[in-house]
Amino acid sequence: MSAGPKTILVVDDAALVRVYYRAILEEAGFRVEEALNGLEALEALLAKEVDLLVVDINMPQMDGLTFLRILREREDPLAAIPALVTSTESAQADFAAACAAGANFYLVKPVGREQLVEFARMLCGVSP
Amino acid sequence: MTFTEAKRYYVERRIWERMAATGATSFADYFARLRTDMQDEIQQFVNAFTINETYFYREDYQLKCLTNDLMMERVRDKRAGDTIRIWSAACSTGEEPYSIAIWLLENWPSVDEYAIEIVASDIDTRVLELARAGTFGQRALMRLSPELIGRYFAALSGERWQINPQLRDSVSFTAVNLVDPGQTWPHGRFDVVFCRNVLIYFDDASRRVAAENLYENLLPGGFICLGHTESMSRISSLFEVRRFADAIVYQRPERKPS
Repeated sequence: MSAGPKTILVVDDAALVRVYYRAILEEAGFRVEEALNGLEALEALLAKEVDLLVVDINMPQMDGLTFLRILREREDPLAAIPALVTSTESAQADFAAACAAGANFYLVKPVGREQLVEFARMLCGVSP
Repeated sequence: MTFTEAKRYYVERRIWERMAATGATSFADYFARLRTDMQDEIQQFVNAFTINETYFYREDYQLKCLTNDLMMERVRDKRAGDTIRIWSAACSTGEEPYSIAIWLLENWPSVDEYAIEIVASDIDTRVLELARAGTFGQRALMRLSPELIGRYFAALSGERWQINPQLRDSVSFTAVNLVDPGQTWPHGRFDVVFCRNVLIYFDDASRRVAAENLYENLLPGGFICLGHTESMSRISSLFEVRRFADAIVYQRPERKPS
């Protein structure tokens, strides 16, 4: 990982959600990149250095869990990028499925400001 | 453009504003300036009647109502992750739809729990271009705190501010004539429509047609917010009046009246 601000890739199909997470994370000192679905996220990861993924589950074209499964199967350092899954699905089965797909942490939406920053810092190894 | 007696105050206020701007000492003095087109006053005068002065967080009691009551009612029968559609039906240069977006980001804790879609329209393609460009002067931002400006705008030179490109892209802008159902209907049904301070400029017949079109563009149970001087009850009986703590809004009934 590089020195300087950590970069977070926010993967969510809802534009306002991306704006919301971006504003929170930028104010906490992170750099933010965006992708609208899993497919775009895979493309972004090949082009940019990313320290943490914040990934929604339900997205068109490629959902978050498919994206994580594909990512975790890679045999390069990209496979190890930590992922914070944010989802509206609160059932235990959804949590288990996300962990099986390679999520490091699972937050049920709505995600609060402090909560997002706290977990982003933790997964990036940044102290407040 | 025709103004009826009911619009007298509106006309007078615009003239007072121009008198103040030109430093005219009396109405006769101002009228003389207008007749001689002193310093391009005719154009300034026309602009004063056609360009809507608006600003961010205008009539914010309705935005409060949106997050305190309307959104809660609209999501009652939705599942997390479902779409909520909001329409700014006379968006002018963009202050209203961007205000709705910022207000929701700042004040609605469930903002990431639903897919919020904001559509913004105006009949005037020139103002839509300005809305899409998303640059604003100090006056437009006067009600926003420095914290909010820092969060959602980038400072340009000459006391102008540019809205974040991501925020800009979260609003879809489109030209719509509210009186033409062929233009309103394709945009589908909405949960909440903001149509503030626009029906007052229509004549009675157009106002009724626009109200009927807006009704068709609302989901059953959907809400419409008008300007604080406007009343839907005087225009159409299709809607139910809902009195919330912060504002009076109009609602398309859940079921069609029998």
